[in-house]
Amino acid sequence: MNDQPTRLLLVDDEASLREPLADYLSRQGFLVEQASDAAKARAALLDSTPDLVLLDIMMPGEDGISLCRHLTESKDLPVIFLTARGEATDRIVGLEIGADDYVVKPFEPRELVARIRSVLRRATKAAGSVRASEALYAFDGWLLDPLKRRLTDPEGTVVPISSAEFRLLSAFLDHPRQVLDRDRLLDMVQGREAHLFDRAVDNQVSRLRRKMEADSRDPKLIQTVWGGGYRLACDVERVAPRKAEG
Amino acid sequence: MPAMHRFLPRSLLGQMLLAVALALLAAQTLSAVLIYRADHQRREAALISSLAFQLVADPRFEFRDGRRNGREGRRKVRIERALESPIHDGDLHDPEREAALRDVLIAQDVAIGELVVFSRKVTADSYVMRGRAGSLSGREGRWSLDGEVLLAGLKRAGNDEWLVARVPRPEHSTRALGGLILQTLLLYIALVGGLAFLLRRITRPLAALTERMSRFAGRADGVEPLEPSGPEDTRALIAAHNEMEARIAALLDEKDVMLGAIGHDLKTPLAALRVRIESVDDETERAKMAGTIEDITHSLDDILSLARVGHAKDPLERTDLAALVSAVVEEYEDLGEPVELGDTMRIALPLRATWMRRALRNLIDNALRYGGTAEVSLSRDNGYAAVCVTDNGPGIPEGEIAAMFEPFARGEVSRNRSTGGAGLGLTLARAIAEQHGGSLSLANRVENGRKVGLAAELRLPHGS
Repeated sequence: MNDQPTRLLLVDDEASLREPLADYLSRQGFLVEQASDAAKARAALLDSTPDLVLLDIMMPGEDGISLCRHLTESKDLPVIFLTARGEATDRIVGLEIGADDYVVKPFEPRELVARIRSVLRRATKAAGSVRASEALYAFDGWLLDPLKRRLTDPEGTVVPISSAEFRLLSAFLDHPRQVLDRDRLLDMVQGREAHLFDRAVDNQVSRLRRKMEADSRDPKLIQTVWGGGYRLACDVERVAPRKAEG
Repeated sequence: MPAMHRFLPRSLLGQMLLAVALALLAAQTLSAVLIYRADHQRREAALISSLAFQLVADPRFEFRDGRRNGREGRRKVRIERALESPIHDGDLHDPEREAALRDVLIAQDVAIGELVVFSRKVTADSYVMRGRAGSLSGREGRWSLDGEVLLAGLKRAGNDEWLVARVPRPEHSTRALGGLILQTLLLYIALVGGLAFLLRRITRPLAALTERMSRFAGRADGVEPLEPSGPEDTRALIAAHNEMEARIAALLDEKDVMLGAIGHDLKTPLAALRVRIESVDDETERAKMAGTIEDITHSLDDILSLARVGHAKDPLERTDLAALVSAVVEEYEDLGEPVELGDTMRIALPLRATWMRRALRNLIDNALRYGGTAEVSLSRDNGYAAVCVTDNGPGIPEGEIAAMFEPFARGEVSRNRSTGGAGLGLTLARAIAEQHGGSLSLANRVENGRKVGLAAELRLPHGS
């Protein structure tokens, strides 16, 4: 993957956006193929399989959601939605049908690039395991829905967290009971908003503790390990979303 | 008069019932009086004819008694013969009955010499008392000791002898009157009760319609239309309401679709613009352009949100408000903005987190724009959760506070600060507070008589 340029398929009916975006992404080192509607996208997919698909939701003819279902079900291709809708419900719908991420128009092009890289990183890591990202994390009575980024406490109350906190918590949840030192944490959580995350890991950890610990001075969940780093002090289970919601 | 109004029923059911009950009361009283009077007249007639019968029929009994050789007939006790007028002092002369009896006797061709009708106490009547003492009659039951006796004395023309007839004087028929009143009351209660039942059936659809309309005003999605019921008029009203409801729902849906289209049509070119400015080499120029696009996007989002805030589709979820507040503050901290988190406490309440974040961001943006800094705190106050956003800016002249909530209103902005935002920020924040059943208020912070900034307080009901 490092040798070959990443191939993207960009599907959007608006040429005024599609063309400059394709140019921009090419300049960032991606190999970009364009399609102006779902039919053309399907045709392009017959010729070659891209590494990732950028998909507009609102398109004339077959819409992005329907095409996304096809892509994720039959090809297991990573998909990022480009959406003009802002309402939370629409975002969640996009993720529930199998998209890996979304950006809301007008997005910052750099952010889009960061997200493309992040999704690809996850996709290569999770290759083979079918959409592991859908399962919820269950730990010590808490639930984290990685798609909706929704954290609920043991009583079922939603505890809003920022995206930096979400990534930090995900890192802990993927490595329960392991000691993670600051460098490793920083490395794992450096994602799309890396430039936002140059604050000390300790700061983020203390924020998380404020939200999740009964007494943040005597943390039970995220413990400080003497001499270097932190550790999630409980076991983590992955549960199917349906079961957890019902 | 106004005091009277308080006791009058307000509902349709109450007023109709009251009107009908009053009319019914009048009608029944009238008929009860008529019945009572007819009954009274019947009794009087019976009384008079009883006296007349005794007086007229008496000679024949006398004759028979004679034939039976001194055996005293039962009816003899009624008739007394006297040579003197039977009326004494202390007797109550009854001229009305006397006139009535006279008419009857004349109709029977009795030649009246003298006629008196009067009443006296049973105990004062020696003839009756004697009869009782000697058990002359099995009918002493007729003469109750505390009752009165009605006597009629007749002296026929050309005759010296008085014939005296007696009947128990009817008591003032209170028992009959009582029975009548009881009967009337029972009938009244039955009628009013039945009517109340019927009227309830008629007005119930109206109550259902009212409830439905207030629910619809609160935007209850996905409820089946109300089934028309009740009288024809009510059915027509419900049908018309259903039609209107469907139309309003269609309009709202249309509005949503239209807003979605507007959002899409404006945001796509903005996105294109945002991509294109990446090729601008001058970094400060590019940052300014990006800032402008961000401002436009922000305004657009505010406008679209304001149009949708009244009928948000996402559900309320029990959410930790403190975590939400600090998550929003942290976003600003991460961007290096001077926003600080003050005192907070854990308060969980049902929220639409996306909306609440937006309201908070708008308040913080406002504080940053006009005050330079912002401090956000959360406290519990009397059943409410209060999020307070304060700044150290110049505040607002007292008279203009209300105007700040008007769409597109803005405080006097200093010229060199960012003027982003369409001035919808506070309007939207207040609409979001109201969407959650809360409120938003602005107040100047005053210390030592000097304005030291502005405080925006967002209060949310913290039910149980």
